[in-house]
Amino acid sequence: MRDFEGEVIKNEHITKDFFIIEFRLQKPIYAIEPGQFVMVKIPDERVFLRRPFSIYDCNKNSLSIMYRIKGEGTHYLSKTPKGIKTQILGPLGKGFNINFEDHLKPVIIAGGIGIAGVHLLIKKIKKTPDIFYGCSDEKEVKLIEDLKAKHVYIATMDGSFGFKGDVISLFERHLKHYQSSICIYACGPEAMFKSLKEKIKPEIKCEVLLEERMACGMGLCFGCVKKTLDEKEPYKRVCKEGPVFDIWQISL
Amino acid sequence: MADLTVELFGKTLKNPVMNASGTMGYGVEMEPLWDIKNMGAYVTKGLSLKPHHGNPPPRIWEERHGMINSIGLHNIGIDAFFNNFMPFFEKKELPVIINFFGFSEEEYIECARQIKPHRLIVCLEANLSCPNIKAGGISFGKEPENVYRLVKKIKSVTEIPVIAKLTPEVKNISDIAMAAYDAGADGLTLINTIPGIYVDIDNKNIPIKGGLSGPFLKPIALKAIKECSERVPIPIIGVGGIMDWKDAVAFFMAGARAVQVGTATFVDPFTIPKIIENIGEFINSKGYSSIKDIIGVVNT
Ligand SMILES: Cc1cc2nc3c(=O)[nH]c(=O)nc-3n(C[C@H](O)[C@H](O)[C@H](O)COP(=O)(O)OP(=O)(O)OC[C@H]3O[C@@H](n4cnc5c(N)ncnc54)[C@H](O)[C@@H]3O)c2cc1C
Ligand SMILES: Cc1cc2nc3c(=O)[nH]c(=O)nc-3n(C[C@H](O)[C@H](O)[C@H](O)COP(=O)(O)O)c2cc1C
Ligand code: FES
Repeated sequence: MRDFEGEVIKNEHITKDFFIIEFRLQKPIYAIEPGQFVMVKIPDERVFLRRPFSIYDCNKNSLSIMYRIKGEGTHYLSKTPKGIKTQILGPLGKGFNINFEDHLKPVIIAGGIGIAGVHLLIKKIKKTPDIFYGCSDEKEVKLIEDLKAKHVYIATMDGSFGFKGDVISLFERHLKHYQSSICIYACGPEAMFKSLKEKIKPEIKCEVLLEERMACGMGLCFGCVKKTLDEKEPYKRVCKEGPVFDIWQISL
Repeated sequence: MADLTVELFGKTLKNPVMNASGTMGYGVEMEPLWDIKNMGAYVTKGLSLKPHHGNPPPRIWEERHGMINSIGLHNIGIDAFFNNFMPFFEKKELPVIINFFGFSEEEYIECARQIKPHRLIVCLEANLSCPNIKAGGISFGKEPENVYRLVKKIKSVTEIPVIAKLTPEVKNISDIAMAAYDAGADGLTLINTIPGIYVDIDNKNIPIKGGLSGPFLKPIALKAIKECSERVPIPIIGVGGIMDWKDAVAFFMAGARAVQVGTATFVDPFTIPKIIENIGEFINSKGYSSIKDIIGVVNT
């Protein structure tokens, strides 16, 4: 972990309100686990705290983030021109566990901007994964353009591309073929995790990337907790014990 | 080299800058970035007799110049703190201030009683903003009589110096300070967060009720420090909205013997080491020899 100075070298609109921003880092960054995140200082005086974003992609000297405009912070981020320098704290948190047993097939499920949280995982995972991606419409399919070479099942809510409906319903259709020989990695809205948890058997390994409001991003404030099933210490810090959790250990 | 050392209850701190309670986890979390041994002292997260799970999320909300938190005093309890984390501070030889609270007078007193003197413990910092469950959730720190009674009882069960951390949400903070002093408090920490709420205009609800912290506290904290230091002859630790070394210098000039930095660390985790370095430079550049030369020097 380090507080890097990053210079914006690209801040590209992809589709609708989605962007990819790339920073050149002043110092090299090492040993990133897919699923880890960074806290970015938004280069605008009006934004006080840093914002958490998954590491979308990363080389030794550059790091990129895929983001969706949500409120003020991401709005100002989208207006940030090339050449601006800002602070980026990371890599933070505990990423996905990719040392799974040999006989398991990795399945990656992403909903909407959740693709940002598993993109690096898709890139780094050794065994070819099956990918399920759900979004609202055809336009958002552009977010996975660089994954075309991979096997991706796509669902859109309005049916303008692929399966019509939500991504978990699409995944459910394939579930019986897999039986229990899969391990799942998921990122998306909490409602998606909830419905996923209802559909799979408890013996299936499944990790999910959670989001919560953060102040420090590094375990200092205890502001970012989620409830788990650990009775002794139910509230775990998403930034420190997470953001990746075992779906069977969290209370959804 | 500027002399940044300050005396606090017979201990010499290498500088007058520390973290604010609850804003640096259990101390170990900062390890990857910088050595907290460089601070004057480490202030623990609020500890209690028994562990507390704290509040459900959301626990934090951003405001334009600060934030609202409702952590709910989540902590592992004093026993686990001493077992799991005290060795870390011993290894560093870093002085520690134990911030503690209770939901009843008995809890405060039992907690204070169970904390045994230790060569690294500078003092106990009693967080008097905690709600008193028996009195309908009104905080202990609101009325001079309650503060007097509680501080007196805490003092009677411990040999460790005790400082009272006060809430600014009172009629007259120096009356509260006076009550703490009369009861035997060895020092004061000013100020805790100020209660506030957030109104979400899209959902027409209040997603969080909690304590405000950050830059907008600074003038309120400075006023409290100035007023209390004029009436009460015990050391004051200043806290509230310090974002950089200039803010810290203002706190010393207003009368603070030491300062604590909270929310600013979330924005820039290096705020504390930067402040330590820069106040040293300030002291030198102005021709002072020691931090003591600027404490309480502001004209009225
Ligand atoms: C571990 C993690 C990884 C994330 N990865 C990505 C990503 O790769 N791409 C992406 O677009 N978004 C990601 N998010 C969500 C992103 O942090 C929020 O969308 C962003 O903080 C919103 O800021 P804002 O100022 O635009 O919104 P506002 O709603 O104006 O923000 C107000 C406050 O709420 C917080 N907040 C609002 N929504 C969220 C949220 N969903 N999660 C956490 N804090 C929130 C903000 O940080 C800010 O403090 C991630 C969140 C977490 C916790
Ligand atoms: C996340 C958070 C947790 C806190 N926890 C405690 C606590 O446990 N005990 C306490 O006395 N004060 C606590 N405080 C208050 C701070 O110690 C400090 O008094 C206050 O935040 C003002 O300083 P700042 O503006 O520099 O943050 C907390 C503040 C924050 C932001
Ligand atoms: S954001 Fe501060 S502990 Fe997680």
